[in-house]
Amino acid sequence: MLAKLTGWLLLGIVRLLTGAQARWYGCPPKAEQRIYFANHQSHADLVMIWAALPEELRSITRPIAARDYWANTPVKRWITTEVFNAVYVERAATGAAPVAPPPPVAPPPAAPIAPDERIEPSMEPLLPIETVAHAPAAEGPQEIQGQLDLPAPPPPPPPVAPPPVIEPEAPAAAPEPPAADPLAPLIDALRSGDSIIIFPEGTRGHTGEPQKFKSGLYALATMFPDVVLVPAWIDNVQRVMPKGEIVPVPILCSVTFGAPIRAEDGEERRPFLDRARAAVIALRDV
Amino acid sequence: MNQFLRSLSPTQQVAALFLIVFGLLFIVSTAVFFLSFKERRNPVHDESWQAELAHFRALLGTTWFMVIVFWIGWALGETVATVLFALIAFFALREFITLSPTRRGDHRSLILAFFVVLPIQFWLVATARFDLFTVFIPVYVFLAIPVASALANDPSHFLERNAKLQWGIMVCVYGMSHVPALLLLTFPGYEGKSAFLVFFLVFVVQTSVLVQHLISRRMQRAPFAPNVSRSFNWTSWGVGIVVASLVGALFSFITPFKFGQALAVSIIACVAGSMGHLVMKALKRDRGIPNWGQKGVGVTGANGLLDRVDALCFAAPIFFHSIRWYFNV
Repeated sequence: MLAKLTGWLLLGIVRLLTGAQARWYGCPPKAEQRIYFANHQSHADLVMIWAALPEELRSITRPIAARDYWANTPVKRWITTEVFNAVYVERAATGAAPVAPPPPVAPPPAAPIAPDERIEPSMEPLLPIETVAHAPAAEGPQEIQGQLDLPAPPPPPPPVAPPPVIEPEAPAAAPEPPAADPLAPLIDALRSGDSIIIFPEGTRGHTGEPQKFKSGLYALATMFPDVVLVPAWIDNVQRVMPKGEIVPVPILCSVTFGAPIRAEDGEERRPFLDRARAAVIALRDV
Repeated sequence: MNQFLRSLSPTQQVAALFLIVFGLLFIVSTAVFFLSFKERRNPVHDESWQAELAHFRALLGTTWFMVIVFWIGWALGETVATVLFALIAFFALREFITLSPTRRGDHRSLILAFFVVLPIQFWLVATARFDLFTVFIPVYVFLAIPVASALANDPSHFLERNAKLQWGIMVCVYGMSHVPALLLLTFPGYEGKSAFLVFFLVFVVQTSVLVQHLISRRMQRAPFAPNVSRSFNWTSWGVGIVVASLVGALFSFITPFKFGQALAVSIIACVAGSMGHLVMKALKRDRGIPNWGQKGVGVTGANGLLDRVDALCFAAPIFFHSIRWYFNV
């Protein structure tokens, strides 16, 4: 009851401030099992896409929330579980990697402001090849990683430089997955028939362009071939509440939902992720 | 008929006015509804006919919206009317800011504009502090906004960003706040009827914009400033002003003005409103958008409120201050 009231109140505030308009291009709002994947610019993305979905879909769609941000105070935890019905994911496993070379197995290194806030865990540690290719970029700050997206620079350096850097990391990462598979909560949610909302960039972007997608989306797409994958573009949210501000400003935002995509038989991971990212970016200009 | 209307109390007169307007709108809407069933033989003609009809329906929708807003504002009293206009100003400013690029450093100034300046301005209107309300934004806010921006420590495009924000506040908040302020003007012998004044202003300004629009579509004259507006030309502008001012003068019986005075204030309001509309068109062109809204198409999700009220935002302050100065009220 209280959760419902809070939900309405929150919905009212979000609509007053942003309009929270949903634009369905390419697929109708339909109660089938879906994975919505969207660009990620702000923590408010979660709230935006939740508010933009029609009432009937909102109850069967569960957004993904990072435990270290959304569950660090009782109020936030209550709102995410009771109102948003969110699925918590740990992002400790990968969140630590870009910051400090030795990835701790323990939960997040107590970073309340979390320099790179991730909502969606990456599968990087599970995939040694990707880790190698990723290592040079991961050493730099997040911003640089985003800029390196287009020219695709990783290929040239890896053969020589990374191995020594990566060597200590690989064994550390290897024993981790069995302990806690970051995708496990999402898989549980999908198994029980719910739709989910994920942000495959993993971390919030700083530029207009979304960063490279993490492979979790691919894993879910191959694991659940019957679930419809719907790309979504969330526009303008970063202007409502930029990093570090607490009072939101009224600016109109919209969520554009595009035509569903699916992983073709035998499609490689990277081409699929690039295609998914292109599908999201294409929605910016419709 | 006229005798009967004069015998009514002011409240009943206003109610009768709304009844007449709603009746007219209802008749026109019904006619348009039945016309939409009509099919032309030639498919090409049919398409253009349907497009024309859709356009007219959109205009009609705007009119309905405006009339209902004013009816609610009048029915629930001056305070509610002021709150209503404050909300319209809020949504208009939201649309304006959405389509003017801001930077990270503008965040505090935007908070100031939305949550401090706007409520204070309308509170000043509601409490009839006319002296402060006319200078609050042009004097105090004019300084406060750039200070907030400067403290954000971001000099890039500083003048441009602040000018945009100042403009947005000036048009959407300052301009809009003058409409409910009309409700509080007290003309001798005109007590309780100031709702007519608001109606008069809105009616005259909308008529001039509408007539100008229809004439420019019919006459296909070369546009005067094609880079800004493809429809604006002096002939249709002149016709719009003349028609709307004459209509305004004919309606002088609902205002405290005499025929000639009503004609003069109508001309002032129409010129201000139609020129303001043109100015907002230039702003839209600069942003590369045809409408503030573009329903269902624009990625911003704006629904074009500013398109509907921009003429009013420019006309209201000029109308208000000119009659206040001339009639010394």
